[in-house]
Amino acid sequence: MLLTKNTIEQILEVGLSTGADFAEAFVEENYHNNFQLVSGRIEKANSSKSFGTGIRLARKLQSVYGYTNSQNPKDIIKLAEDLSKSFNDEEKTARKPLMKLETGTHHQVKKAPRDVSQEEKVSLMKKAYNAARNFDKAIQQVAINLIDSEQEVLIANSEGRFVTEKRYRVRIYINAVAGNGQIMQTGTEGPGSGKGYEYFDEDIDVEAVAKEAARTAITMLGAEECPSGVMSVIINNKFGGVIFHEACGHSLEATSVAKNASVFCGKMGEKIAAPIVTAIDDGTIENAWGSSNYDDEGYPQQRRVLIENGILKSYMIDLLNTRRMSGKATGSSRRESYKFAPTSRMSNTFIDNGSSTFEEIIANTKYGLFAAKMGGGSVNPGTGDFNFAVSEGYIVRDGKIAEPVRGASLVGNGADILLKIDMIGNNLSRAEGMCGSVSGSIPADVGQPTIRVSSVTVGGKKGDK
Amino acid sequence: MINVEKLFEKAKDKGFVDVQIFKTGTRDLSIEVFDGELEKYEIADTSSLTIKAIKDGKMVTFVTEVMDDEDIDMIVDAMLKNVSVITSVDEAEIYAGDEKYEELTGMYNPEMENLDIADKIDLVKKLDSFMHKEDSRVKIVECEYAESTKSVLLQNTKGLKLTDHLNSAYFGASAIVNDGKDQRTGFDLVISNDMADFKPEELSNAIVTDAIKALGSKPVPSAKYPIVFDRNAIAVLFSAFQRIFSADNVQKSMSLLKGKLNTKIGSDKVNIVDDPFLKKSNLSRSFDDEGVATKYKMLVEAGVLKTYLHNLVTAKKDKIQPTGNGFGGSVAPTNFMLLPGQATKDELIASLSNGLYITDVQGAHAGANPVSGDFSLQAMGFVVKDGKVAEPVALITVASNFIDFLNDIEEVGNDVRTSFYGITCPSVKVGPLSVSGL
Repeated sequence: MLLTKNTIEQILEVGLSTGADFAEAFVEENYHNNFQLVSGRIEKANSSKSFGTGIRLARKLQSVYGYTNSQNPKDIIKLAEDLSKSFNDEEKTARKPLMKLETGTHHQVKKAPRDVSQEEKVSLMKKAYNAARNFDKAIQQVAINLIDSEQEVLIANSEGRFVTEKRYRVRIYINAVAGNGQIMQTGTEGPGSGKGYEYFDEDIDVEAVAKEAARTAITMLGAEECPSGVMSVIINNKFGGVIFHEACGHSLEATSVAKNASVFCGKMGEKIAAPIVTAIDDGTIENAWGSSNYDDEGYPQQRRVLIENGILKSYMIDLLNTRRMSGKATGSSRRESYKFAPTSRMSNTFIDNGSSTFEEIIANTKYGLFAAKMGGGSVNPGTGDFNFAVSEGYIVRDGKIAEPVRGASLVGNGADILLKIDMIGNNLSRAEGMCGSVSGSIPADVGQPTIRVSSVTVGGKKGDK
Repeated sequence: MINVEKLFEKAKDKGFVDVQIFKTGTRDLSIEVFDGELEKYEIADTSSLTIKAIKDGKMVTFVTEVMDDEDIDMIVDAMLKNVSVITSVDEAEIYAGDEKYEELTGMYNPEMENLDIADKIDLVKKLDSFMHKEDSRVKIVECEYAESTKSVLLQNTKGLKLTDHLNSAYFGASAIVNDGKDQRTGFDLVISNDMADFKPEELSNAIVTDAIKALGSKPVPSAKYPIVFDRNAIAVLFSAFQRIFSADNVQKSMSLLKGKLNTKIGSDKVNIVDDPFLKKSNLSRSFDDEGVATKYKMLVEAGVLKTYLHNLVTAKKDKIQPTGNGFGGSVAPTNFMLLPGQATKDELIASLSNGLYITDVQGAHAGANPVSGDFSLQAMGFVVKDGKVAEPVALITVASNFIDFLNDIEEVGNDVRTSFYGITCPSVKVGPLSVSGL
């Protein structure tokens, strides 16, 4: 165990000693490997080990947080004492006794990173490298990054929660660069999982994924600049779900809702999306990239239906934000590491399947942009304004996918676009990403079937369509 | 603290030729006020040790936060396993040191760390109060003060031992304003290690004024517009593209500046430097993470690319001296600066006649491609009519290619400032760019 039960109890006890009504300890050890292959050579084979404790105390709406990576129980209890000085109240809250330590077992792995040899990791990377490199003569460079991590957490609070779990992550990033002497274009793929290395045997074929990255780069090399203007946009499945993640998901997190900073405040039970839209955030999917047994406040992760047939059904709420807003905590609290106080975050978020086929969506579009692959994006939760980069795009003309276009971006407003989704496919699929927000950078799945949005502002260099 | 001599000895026993440690100790404090109340108070004390070791000419790195002698064997074993698979042909080196290192003054300001925490909380509360009083349309305000004190120790088996000590803080706020018809946000912050630079009234006024002005923003028709980019927008754009100056990216064909040395990559107005000695900046350093002395250098002079940024390995490959930019295991700038010109921002806008004044761009982490140079960014700002700032604009994108953009720079302002992206730059006037909106 990372810290003894006795030390944990002292931290919580000291934390509550001056009037705080809530105390929490989050102890973490993380072992991380990062291998990099560039130009056919292993350039990096680095490892790191982190260890630390984060302590959070709260009284009503006020909270304090501190962290240290000292392993010495005395230093950690001293941190709790320093934090407790922020409170000075006669009225004290009693601590509930810790429950029997509960160990999360929902996401089992077969090949933990530590049991996989350096040679096996290198051979996996070489397979991917060769597949991308040999795809086409115009592929000039391929970089492969393989990362894995093993995080052990111990979470306890003054409500009596006392849980531990190990979380595994593996991910391979493939970045292919194609060039023709004048311009360079890139194609990237970054599949990952909450499994161990069995992911690369059971779920994905790294060679196929690498070829896909190379194909995107080659396609974009031959693409014209994207025209700009307002048009219908068909957003593909998998990472296309980033649009929902950014444009809507962040605005449904208590982080923005509790402070009245979200466009979706006060909209519970109201129509916020087209009736064909059902959206879910599910942190329980077995071994998914964004799953865990417990959230980072130590409560079980959940499946949350956010929007059902266009109606807002649930926000994502962490424990402390229930003090600012109505509704129960939804097991949504997450953080990058002990260096961050947790808050409400997404896990695996996706728009659910609709009834159209992919072919029907294309065939029913007279003119528009098909965003086959999305890059990242960002959103201002205060206004809901968002932007996304399209990493592989095509013009759709008379119901057919026509020429590829590069440099496109989508700009719009989250509240607005949800109402403009007019077709949803039946090919739901998820993809992995890193989501950055107030409590750090965390693994999160995005996902959706192919969807069509009736009108979106498309930015591109070619000028007016 | 781990016993460094013992670590060096164990590593050498296992066949490592040279070993280096880079230790960072950090103390952090952050204070957030929301609606007049202290909402968040955070303290932290952490340290991290980066160990680099060379065996058979290959360099391996291990980072640990556990400063325990009991871990030494585990660390050396892990490095040994990892180094065995490295096939890099880079000539790895642990640096013996330079003759001279610049003395940085004012990097550590004890007054800031010694100031009572209660006074810092008061300062943030003052900002919060000013913001709320500024305008009745201010609905939500978040104010923050965050301070960091860092000490750095570099020590290696070649006898080099260097230390640095610095502190820095930022002070800023964000606001949501709403007039019943439209909702907009405003944000700004100041970075310094001198408390006198943190002026709540001035900051509050700037943030709220800008946010209020943006109420009622609408897209403009898609077309090509000449544009004045505010220094904040330039900072976002440059922060997305600064990595193209890294020799590491150039050598790996991951930069559009490959093969462009001593050629024109921008207009005559473009002068870019890397200045490791900038006062009050938390990015200033006298030595880099490899122990190389840092130096002031022109990257672009009158539009001509003069040098890339180098660490030990990339410099060796190009057969030149390292530039002291070996940071974070790769290559990075210190204070990346676009040098100012003569014109004020208002003069830039006036000279535009008709066009756009862009105050902010977003989405640079995804909408800007450092390999192709293409970017397409969400932008907001104002229409400029007859040289004057007119109605507010939002939900448009500005698209170009970074090299085209540098070539399109017609004038550079004199309002230089360091942004929280670590970029120091003024506002800039640029020839017609593609804007998509209505």
